[in-house]
Amino acid sequence: MPSVYNWQLGREMDYPFEGVRPKRQFAMIFDTNKCIACQTCTVACKTAWTSGRGQEYMLWNNVETKPYGYYPLGWDVNILDKHGVQDMDGPVYEGKTLFEAAPADKVVLGYTPKDEDYAFPNIGEDDCTGEMDQGAWMQMPHMQWMYYLPRICNHCTYPACLSACPRQVIYKREEDGIVLLDQNRCRGYRECVTGCPYKKVFFNPMTRVSEKCIGCYPAIENNRQTQCTITCIGKIRLQGFMATPDEAREDNPMDYIVHYAKIAKPLYPQFGLEPNTYYIPPVHVPPKYLRQMFGWGVEEAIDTYKRASEDPKLLGAMLLFGATPEIIHRFKLEAGKAVGYDDKGAELVRVPMVEPTFLRDAFDGRFNAYRTNVT
Amino acid sequence: MWRRTLTTGAAALLVPMVFGTAMAADGIRAIIVDADGALKDPEAAFWDEADPVMVSMQAQMVAKPLHGEPSVTEVSVRAAHNGHWIGLLVEWETPEPRDTIRLDDFGDQMAVQFPLDAGASPMMGHDGAAVNIVQWRAALQRDIAEGEPEIRDLYPYALVDVYPDEVLSLTDARAYTGALGLDNPVARPFDSPVLDQMAEGWGTLTVRPMQIADGWGVWKDGRWRVAVSRPMRPILEGDPDLSPGTRRAAFAVWDGNNDEVGGRKSWSGWVDVQIEE
Repeated sequence: MPSVYNWQLGREMDYPFEGVRPKRQFAMIFDTNKCIACQTCTVACKTAWTSGRGQEYMLWNNVETKPYGYYPLGWDVNILDKHGVQDMDGPVYEGKTLFEAAPADKVVLGYTPKDEDYAFPNIGEDDCTGEMDQGAWMQMPHMQWMYYLPRICNHCTYPACLSACPRQVIYKREEDGIVLLDQNRCRGYRECVTGCPYKKVFFNPMTRVSEKCIGCYPAIENNRQTQCTITCIGKIRLQGFMATPDEAREDNPMDYIVHYAKIAKPLYPQFGLEPNTYYIPPVHVPPKYLRQMFGWGVEEAIDTYKRASEDPKLLGAMLLFGATPEIIHRFKLEAGKAVGYDDKGAELVRVPMVEPTFLRDAFDGRFNAYRTNVT
Repeated sequence: MWRRTLTTGAAALLVPMVFGTAMAADGIRAIIVDADGALKDPEAAFWDEADPVMVSMQAQMVAKPLHGEPSVTEVSVRAAHNGHWIGLLVEWETPEPRDTIRLDDFGDQMAVQFPLDAGASPMMGHDGAAVNIVQWRAALQRDIAEGEPEIRDLYPYALVDVYPDEVLSLTDARAYTGALGLDNPVARPFDSPVLDQMAEGWGTLTVRPMQIADGWGVWKDGRWRVAVSRPMRPILEGDPDLSPGTRRAAFAVWDGNNDEVGGRKSWSGWVDVQIEE
């Protein structure tokens, strides 16, 4: 089996195919601290892509409450249980990936969900880890906690769905790294559903083949961010292209947040798929839980995030979340503003680093009325 | 395990004595019958004139995912022809038919494979050595017999507000139809529950643009009887030559009760088929 380099794990690992990276990689950053689970992203995706027959249950994008929310039911705890305890203190991952932990008769360690596992998309919604005892007080991390985890396909560098398909129906696009499933060649074996640890490939019982998040590629090809990103009312997402650490550009907001500031972490990097969605961890959740979910470095990420105001570049990059529907390829700080540019260098957006404030007189002479400053 | 092997072996020895069934080593004899058109009726009387041959089925242990414990370990095969069409009647035991496909429901299937090149691997051919694979699917047959399923046939409590095809023009709604809109041949049957296909090794199985093969299956008393039929003489490029003489065929079965699909199947090696003059 060929050996490929997974920078998230800091080492080479086994993968069934040679490691060929795309010209540029689709990526997304989520700020979990800002997500309120309003599901606007879920509905935007649903209406854009999965309102057809057989797609009724499908949520290419979903938002689940952690730790007790899952879609499908128990997706992460099921595969974590099969994966077993792994050594992951970093900076080099010492445990096994899902490819390395695969039984001899399979390409990748996985499991097949049951139909009813998809019947509870809101299970665990807003459920806290436990009850607050009498005399409890606010402390960090919180004594009892929950947070929201928005999820799409990770468009992994080393996709398990792709490797599990015996027909090579799933492919990773050279131009943007988006992982697609050929609706013409698929024969509905469901090996991809079994193989994807994130359970982001779905079987369509009406068409009898599998389907998955397409990374809104028609938008991407026209330099626009995905539907789930541009409709996010909390502006928690930034979608763009991200480089590997050795080729990271400081003026790419994605690269700056992930590679320079290191405040956003991949989801379950220990699986070994090198997922390309990144999460700014919730500041109030015990690091022990977050380390399992986002890998090592979460404490440092939270610390840097809390001190974002001390790093103007980081603050500027974060202000570009939800600032424009276009894909931002470069940014710079100029005259107190974060300025985003497209791939041709044209200005897309200019966001003030400090929210402008206006002071008005308490008395409005025109209407002979006192102003109540409530909005 | 040894006990199971002994039991299976003993049963295999008993079968020819009790029923007069031949084993695969003797080859399958395709007798001449007086019947018109494709020999696809599994309940046709002429099958009684053909001697059944027991073909051992093996676990698929070559390409991942491996499938070490298939539930079908042997099939009975009879063959007949009418000078234009050859038919093969394949029978196997299964407790109940599975013809519905949902996420964790897998339909029953059976395939007969003919080599296009003499040296083609029995495991779906190999690079440069193609095979023709005629595959019957229980789910496609159900579509033809009982109509295509609606979502509530599959999930009785599914709630749906509106579908794109109910409010958009046909052209605009097509984007929401996925594999159906692309006429993916596994999504719905054309005119037959049988797919006429070719392959040159693992992962290359492709439905041919012209569908000639045909077939039908009947499940009764814990047993599938499935007949598939195709023309004996090549009409199009990629058709196998099944004119009188010694030819070869191989078989595969997928048991939906055992979640079998794709490479999760039982298969046989090449078996000689003596096609009578």
